[in-house]
Amino acid sequence: MSEAGGVDEMEFRPSAAVSLGVELELQLLRAHDLDLSRGAADLLELLGKRKLPGAVKPEITESMVELNSSVHLQHGSLRDELVAMRDAVVNEAGVLNLRVAGGGSHPFHDWADRRIFPTGRFRAILERYGYLAKQFTVFGQHIHVGCPNGDDAVYLVHMLTRYVPHFIALSAASPFYQGEDTGFQSSRLTSISAFPLAGHMPFVRDWAEFLEYYEKMRSLGIVASMKDFYWDIRPKPEYGTVEIRVCDTPLTVQRAALLGAYAQALAAYHLQERPRAPARAVYLVNSFNRFEASRFGCRGELIEPYESRRKKIGEDILHTIETIMPHALKIGGADALTELAADVRHGYSDANWLLECRTISGSLPDVAREAATRWSGAA
Amino acid sequence: MGLSFLPQLPFALSAPIMIGALLAAGLLAGEAANRYLALPRITGYALAGVALGPQLSGVLSEEVLRALSVLIDLSVGLIVFELGFRFDWRWLKRNRWLLATAVAESLFGFGAIFGALVYFGFAPALAASAAAIGTATSPAIVMLVAHELRAEGQITERTLLFTAVNSVFAYVALTLLLPLLHLRLQAGWLEAVLRPAYILGGSLLAGVAACMLMLGLARWLGKREDRQFVLLVAMVVLTVGVARSLNLSVMIALMALGMLARNFDRRHVLMPLRFGHGGQLFFVILFVLTGAGLNFGAWTTAAWLVTVLLVARFLGKALAILAFARLSGVRPGGAGLLAIALFPMSGLAVGMVRDTSELFPVFGQQLGGVLLAAVAFTELVGPLATQFALRRAGEADPEARGE
Repeated sequence: MSEAGGVDEMEFRPSAAVSLGVELELQLLRAHDLDLSRGAADLLELLGKRKLPGAVKPEITESMVELNSSVHLQHGSLRDELVAMRDAVVNEAGVLNLRVAGGGSHPFHDWADRRIFPTGRFRAILERYGYLAKQFTVFGQHIHVGCPNGDDAVYLVHMLTRYVPHFIALSAASPFYQGEDTGFQSSRLTSISAFPLAGHMPFVRDWAEFLEYYEKMRSLGIVASMKDFYWDIRPKPEYGTVEIRVCDTPLTVQRAALLGAYAQALAAYHLQERPRAPARAVYLVNSFNRFEASRFGCRGELIEPYESRRKKIGEDILHTIETIMPHALKIGGADALTELAADVRHGYSDANWLLECRTISGSLPDVAREAATRWSGAA
Repeated sequence: MGLSFLPQLPFALSAPIMIGALLAAGLLAGEAANRYLALPRITGYALAGVALGPQLSGVLSEEVLRALSVLIDLSVGLIVFELGFRFDWRWLKRNRWLLATAVAESLFGFGAIFGALVYFGFAPALAASAAAIGTATSPAIVMLVAHELRAEGQITERTLLFTAVNSVFAYVALTLLLPLLHLRLQAGWLEAVLRPAYILGGSLLAGVAACMLMLGLARWLGKREDRQFVLLVAMVVLTVGVARSLNLSVMIALMALGMLARNFDRRHVLMPLRFGHGGQLFFVILFVLTGAGLNFGAWTTAAWLVTVLLVARFLGKALAILAFARLSGVRPGGAGLLAIALFPMSGLAVGMVRDTSELFPVFGQQLGGVLLAAVAFTELVGPLATQFALRRAGEADPEARGE
């Protein structure tokens, strides 16, 4: 991976269509008070001695590690690998008396306490963004879907943007932030929006036009590499993928794999059937839809850009699952979509689970503890 | 014309004046030590105590120190309670090598001091008692340095854990060794057996009772940090008082209270603990008073023996930690730092030396002074060692110095 970012970095390396991989940012908690810990370095050191299927990497603060799966063609194998990785991480964390948890935000940590992982890139981010960098202690899931070429990747980004509210609502797991009940299903997205290069990809037609845009931004010194774009969905040429970045890290690896299966089936449907052409209208309604999804989850409303009408996000998801089911069947994701649909019908979200946890237990440290127990697979 | 409303001169130094002055003196000395000499504040508090104590200026006479000993017990009670409250059995269960290291750390520390003293011709029973006393690390120093640096990480956590273990080890070992001394000196052996049983059992029982009461009340109060804080302080003060009245061990009772509260709170009714600024008050007083009570006498008469004791103790502990470090998941280089962090000897040793000497004057004559001098040395230098180790481990908050 080159940090410098030149034309080579931007060469789109083809990968098997609709292959699948995920990255999960995880919270490391102290056992005694359930606040965020600073255990990343010690944990990575221990994990370095073990053979793992994917990879575990440092992230911006010392309270976070990132699980990277390898590339999968099916939901089932992705899930099994994530379970194996989770077990390894949870076990080694136990040696250090750390808890590991999913969820898009830590319920009560104080961002001013965070310390940045001491690598060059992360220090540079702190230098550039000031307190935003520390406030950025939020935990997301990134889903990569493979594309055969850059043009397909650009097309897929435009197509998937319509479903951004789906991914937000299905993954939402950050109702608490800095000790407050935010009223949002996903409060995490708000802290990302503060970054100048957050948002979405411009409305380019193909990979050539995208490269033109990228070169312009680079020559103006606004970005140094693709990493500097904090877009909701972005092409990732070095992996040959489209990367969906709006999801909160769910409370379980199983749900993380379900979200992967949903993205995969959506991509298969669009790349194979090409049901629609890219439309500017999608971007017109994007921030409204995005807000509705992060605030209300599946109960929110989105504006369907192609039909210009309002719809409940939950209904829209169920409808979409019906449409893409034939593709899911072909790639082994049907059960996963059925499970997701059932959750939508029952009004389940990880955020609601966390809220209920607080109602029952009465304290945010308890919420963090329960989330860690759930992540470990024990409950 | 009567001016009877004016106070009689010289006016009496009332307790509030004394305590307020102690606080101010400690605070200023701590700040000065930190600002001008880059020393830990704790060292400054202790130096203020030394300056005010009976050995130098005598502002704090032996009599005053005795009168204020309840403040020491309260402060120690709070600290030991917090130490116990952070002690996590489940960690030891998940990481057996950590348990092995903790036990070895105490045993090797004990063994090394014992071996060195026997080698230099002390009677085994006396050497063993001294070794037991010497094994303990100072809960107050490690806890306060960790607070002051806002240190967080594996070395910090393990320093606190090992301190809890070796403090209990020291007290239990000494209490169990006393009967041996009794037998050697042909004291009544009924007392020799009953005494430790009473102290250990009674302290434990006091801790258990306080824990049950606290958990019950906390459940009733609900999860409110402010109320639970008052409850914790109330239970700690109460337990300290009960332990003092019944001639039990404040340390064991409070450690038991903390450990039990943490590990038997199955329904998690207790909130995480934060003493914050309020705790700081007690800590300043504790270190000023401890400083005033320090006894450097043996440094002039038996400096070599004090040095031998400290070196043997350090090496014993370091050996145990180094042997098990990697197996228990400490990163390379961490073991040495852990051993350094554990260097400060416990101020509790002062009480243990006093009690043992009262029972056996021969112990006081031969080894009491040496132990007290070792404590005095590490009370001043120890905070520096712990601070160095936690900073070097990268676990101190770089911004914490100005707090």
